[in-house]
Amino acid sequence: MSTAIRIAHEEWRLWLRSRMVVAAALIVAVLIAATGALTMERLTTQAKQRAAQQEAAEAAFFAQPDRHPHRMVHYGHYAFRLPPPLSVFDPGVDMVTGQSIFLEGHRQNTAMFADAKASANMGGFAALNPAALYQLLLPLLLIIIGHGVVLRERESGTLGVLLAQGQSALALAGGKALALLGVVALFMLPLALMAAYGVAAGEAAGPAIALVAGYGLYLMVWAALVLAVSTLVRSRSAALGVLTACWLAMVLVVPRLGINAASALVDAPGKIESDLVMLSQERKLGDGHNASDPAFEQLKQDLLDQYGVESVEELPINFRGVVASYSEEKLTGLLNEFAERRMQSEARQSEVFGRFALASPTLAVGAASRALAGTDLATHHRFLRETESVRFGFVQALNEMHATKLSYIDDARRSVDPEAEARTRVNAQAWAVLDRFRFAPDPPAERFARAFGPLTLLAGWLAALAALVVYAARRLAP
Amino acid sequence: MIAALSREGRFMLRDRAAVVWLALAFALSVAAIAFGIAEVREQRGTIAALVEEDAADRANAIAGQSDWGGVAYNAFHLTYAPPSDFAFAALGQRDASPWLHRVRMLALEGQIHEADTRNADFGLIGRFDFAFLTATVAPLLLILLLYDLRSAERVAGRHDLLLATAGAERAVWLPRSAVRFGALMLALLVPFWVGAALEGASAFVVARASAVVLVMLGVWWLITDRLGRRNTAPATILTTLIGVWLALALLLPALAKAAIDARYPVPEGGEILLLQRESVNSAWDIPKQATMEPFLARHPEWAEYATIERPFEWKWYYAFQQVGDQAAEPLARQYRAARLARDAAAGKAALVSPASLLERYFQHLAGTDAGAMIAYEDAVRAYHARLRAFYYPLLFRDEPYDPALLEDLPRFTPAAD
Repeated sequence: MSTAIRIAHEEWRLWLRSRMVVAAALIVAVLIAATGALTMERLTTQAKQRAAQQEAAEAAFFAQPDRHPHRMVHYGHYAFRLPPPLSVFDPGVDMVTGQSIFLEGHRQNTAMFADAKASANMGGFAALNPAALYQLLLPLLLIIIGHGVVLRERESGTLGVLLAQGQSALALAGGKALALLGVVALFMLPLALMAAYGVAAGEAAGPAIALVAGYGLYLMVWAALVLAVSTLVRSRSAALGVLTACWLAMVLVVPRLGINAASALVDAPGKIESDLVMLSQERKLGDGHNASDPAFEQLKQDLLDQYGVESVEELPINFRGVVASYSEEKLTGLLNEFAERRMQSEARQSEVFGRFALASPTLAVGAASRALAGTDLATHHRFLRETESVRFGFVQALNEMHATKLSYIDDARRSVDPEAEARTRVNAQAWAVLDRFRFAPDPPAERFARAFGPLTLLAGWLAALAALVVYAARRLAP
Repeated sequence: MIAALSREGRFMLRDRAAVVWLALAFALSVAAIAFGIAEVREQRGTIAALVEEDAADRANAIAGQSDWGGVAYNAFHLTYAPPSDFAFAALGQRDASPWLHRVRMLALEGQIHEADTRNADFGLIGRFDFAFLTATVAPLLLILLLYDLRSAERVAGRHDLLLATAGAERAVWLPRSAVRFGALMLALLVPFWVGAALEGASAFVVARASAVVLVMLGVWWLITDRLGRRNTAPATILTTLIGVWLALALLLPALAKAAIDARYPVPEGGEILLLQRESVNSAWDIPKQATMEPFLARHPEWAEYATIERPFEWKWYYAFQQVGDQAAEPLARQYRAARLARDAAAGKAALVSPASLLERYFQHLAGTDAGAMIAYEDAVRAYHARLRAFYYPLLFRDEPYDPALLEDLPRFTPAAD
């Protein structure tokens, strides 16, 4: 063991004397610090802003004047997706999806105004954030620092001397691995700080620790690859070439090819497309605004039988409200069926694309990172589902009012008779039926469950590469 | 010269590493082009199917109506921006901005920001299209092909001998690097040309695109050649080149993007909707006159017909929809102007990064840049204005309902690319 430490120590001494290594490390350190600070500032501000907007939206709803309840169904409500604490490290899909959604009767709207749509277009890359630096840049820095760990000894002729002195090749590889692990440990410090900040901001400790561990695993995978190549290849420049090509493939090419493949293999119709299909089915359900639509004949007959009366005017409840509630329920069933189908095909696409993680640890760590931070596609889908249940909740509560608090005769005459119109306005205190909505990340256990697959994959990569290092070390000859 | 080139060609084919990089470039180009073509064809298929379903749905919606207001409320109209015949090479903003809408006579601000976006993971990671390949990946492949031409000979101890026998320095290095550069260009461009022929892209556009690839990779060739001359270890040269690539292709664009977004703030999009919604919904609670006044300020021609007598009349209903748009108009204008300002600034900033410049130029040629997406939104606005111009006379003059007149409903035609 002491040999390994001595070798690692020597390696570090040489690195610290290399101007190139020190300069590269400093540049990356500055980048991480700068993007970390900027992302933190941006997301903390956004979290505050959206929380304030959410309260303002509720206050605006409660403050509406006396109205016909159906007006409030159309007045609608806004729901905002609050960024979770760990999004300061990995904002994930937050930039790409809209962050707020308008909730109203008869419709499921999309989340609108994604930052990415309005952002300056400089081509290729998404905006820099700490997670992207960890995924893209740190592996490259590891390559630049570490590609010569073993080759340096080989090229300067010290490898032969070391082996001739009876130094075991495995101990040598162990020492080099230890030196690289030291680099990885140093790289983990800024992330550990950001994770601690996340915990201070209310995140559970489990996901924060798992996030740090996941990136540790990822960087160890790269360290092992660097060590294996440095041991197997005969010249420094060849090693650097091979490693750069690996980086190019795993970081830039495979993830994007995965997106292409997912898009080509799984057809996920857009919302407008699936809405069109749905609309034609919806027409068969009848128009909820029009209580004399033939689709509601059965409903009418059932109600008349139930109350033992002859006409809708004699019913103790407002038939128009009953129709509104009935058709909203039917329609929501249909809307949810289509929304669910759309989300499932998106999830299937992401599954296809997730399989490319077999060829790219970058994809694996990205998936684990977004899942743990609570900024993945699944979380966005949950946001859509939860806002839908808020929507259905207040719309049906208002329809219930429509059915029980308004007289059918007034309601039917309100378009032509101003006095009847005035009687159909409900006291504004009733608007308190709206549920308060605060979007929160999944409980840690669920996030672990989603991150488990990709993390296992990373562990598999690490085991395979470690085996390769051992194999290469055994064959090491000057 | 020809003899020198063919000699260098034979040398290159014996260099296994060079062959691997070239084969990789070719395979990636084929993949980028094939996926690009598959995607635009799927998008065209979607549009074609939707145009038919849209017409059928509208006919169905109109069939049950008995007045103009009901028709305008129920009839949706498809608007779309089809991918151009060059879009296969650069899908650009089509993953981030919507290119399909269904609009009706209600307030447009409530409809036009609807995001028919795809899987969020797509926008997050991005596609592997030909523009990305040539802008970002190809320079790195070029670096790998060229960085050690000189230093490898130095390491092998042949450098000085080579120069002495060749006489002039250029006689050795120029054919050698030209052969590699040319081979990489062919590996990238041949699949591109085949794809362009399949898609029927205009030869002029393809020629301009090819020229830009040539020039941009030429810049990378110059950079590599400059730095490759230094008398240091090949690994040091390669490290420096990777650093330069990283700065030009990745860091500068990302920093420029962050700086531009900070410099030109975009109004909070949600505010547009809030304003529009408050205006539209408050119309039910305020005197009809308060709605009709701002409406008539825009449309004085309807002043004679604008008395509203009953609690609900369609002409008043559509008037307050328009007033909702009017209320949100300043903010919507700002939102549009800020996006254009960001795009203009990005165009200038791209001058420092060959990668950004190339991608932006491709997106410009393909009609998939921010400007084209905003032009599509403008087309939707113009179309919506035509719908209003169609319905207002019918609603305000209270023309008797006659479905035959609906034959003249304005049809959306996408801008030719």
